Amino acid sequence: MKRLALLAVAGCALLSACATARPVPYNWGDYSSSLYSFKKDPTDEKLQAHKQVLIQIIQGSAEKSLKVPPGVCAEYGYILIREGNTADGMKYLDLEAQTFPESKGFVDRVKAQAIQPPTEKEKAP
Amino acid sequence: MRKWLVPAIAVCMLAAVSACAPNTVAKKDAFPLMYQEKPTSILVLPPINETTAADAKEYYSTTLAEPLSYMGYYVFPIEVVTEMMKHEGAYETETLINVPPQKFKEFFGADAVLFVKITKWDTAYYVIGGHVAVGVDFVLKSTTTGAELWKYDGVLQVPTGGGGGGGGLVGLVVHVAITAIKTAAADYIPVAQRANAMVISTMPTGRYHPMHGQDQEVQILPKQQK
Repeated sequence: MKRLALLAVAGCALLSACATARPVPYNWGDYSSSLYSFKKDPTDEKLQAHKQVLIQIIQGSAEKSLKVPPGVCAEYGYILIREGNTADGMKYLDLEAQTFPESKGFVDRVKAQAIQPPTEKEKAP
Repeated sequence: MRKWLVPAIAVCMLAAVSACAPNTVAKKDAFPLMYQEKPTSILVLPPINETTAADAKEYYSTTLAEPLSYMGYYVFPIEVVTEMMKHEGAYETETLINVPPQKFKEFFGADAVLFVKITKWDTAYYVIGGHVAVGVDFVLKSTTTGAELWKYDGVLQVPTGGGGGGGGLVGLVVHVAITAIKTAAADYIPVAQRANAMVISTMPTGRYHPMHGQDQEVQILPKQQK
């Protein structure tokens, strides 16, 4: 019973702290900064730096037994496909759908677009 | 033995409610549809920048996914979504504003779509530090009914530059220099992050959050206007 009382007090303290809920523990690394740098200066160098951040988030999350944040695997896979590494890109897209089942429809859409033959414009030499 | 528990809890709840600033409102009263529909996934459209700060759009587009994920939502990768929409011929969010929200369910499988407008981005400096007045207008719409599920419209004062400066006049001068460099060097990412975190914390939590479905009574300030 004493424990129950303690629990109630603890719960009370928690509630009355104007209830700022603890966030879901994700590791986003330097995502915003590296993406912003790339958008401001869309060079291959900046893209590679952003890719590095993405893979660090993916690997770092696994090391800490955390879920990879939503969208990160899909974004990494998408970049790989754009670079011509379709096989690996597809793997990361599948990983996104496995981690977050609600992304399945989206992932299928990305895959469908990825395997589309290049448009006339893209084919032109 | 248990008799005291009920009033104790009641007192607690009262304390919880009154611990917050005046003009607060419970999440369930502010956004009842969020608790009815329980959206899981959010598609963020590229923000619309109504300010003269050219970079504000990118500060925002790169910092929205993180706080939404912390609140327990699945967030579609904004960059990939933008690229895919370009592929479909949609380049600007302005052209998407009149698209029925249901289309985003059809195309991406999203439960809700988030429209973000940046209405103000005014920087101010003073001797020790500075701030940015960030005005935003967020609307989350259901892709099932098209109804507004959650919104936030207000102006936030976000301090720039970090930490307390050193003592004395020299410290002050150095501090001013640092703030000036920081603001000039376009390091506004932390400002956008702070503003987003404040705004998005008023949202009911999503399915990946431990408080999901239990935060109805959490008090929020639905708007900050200064």
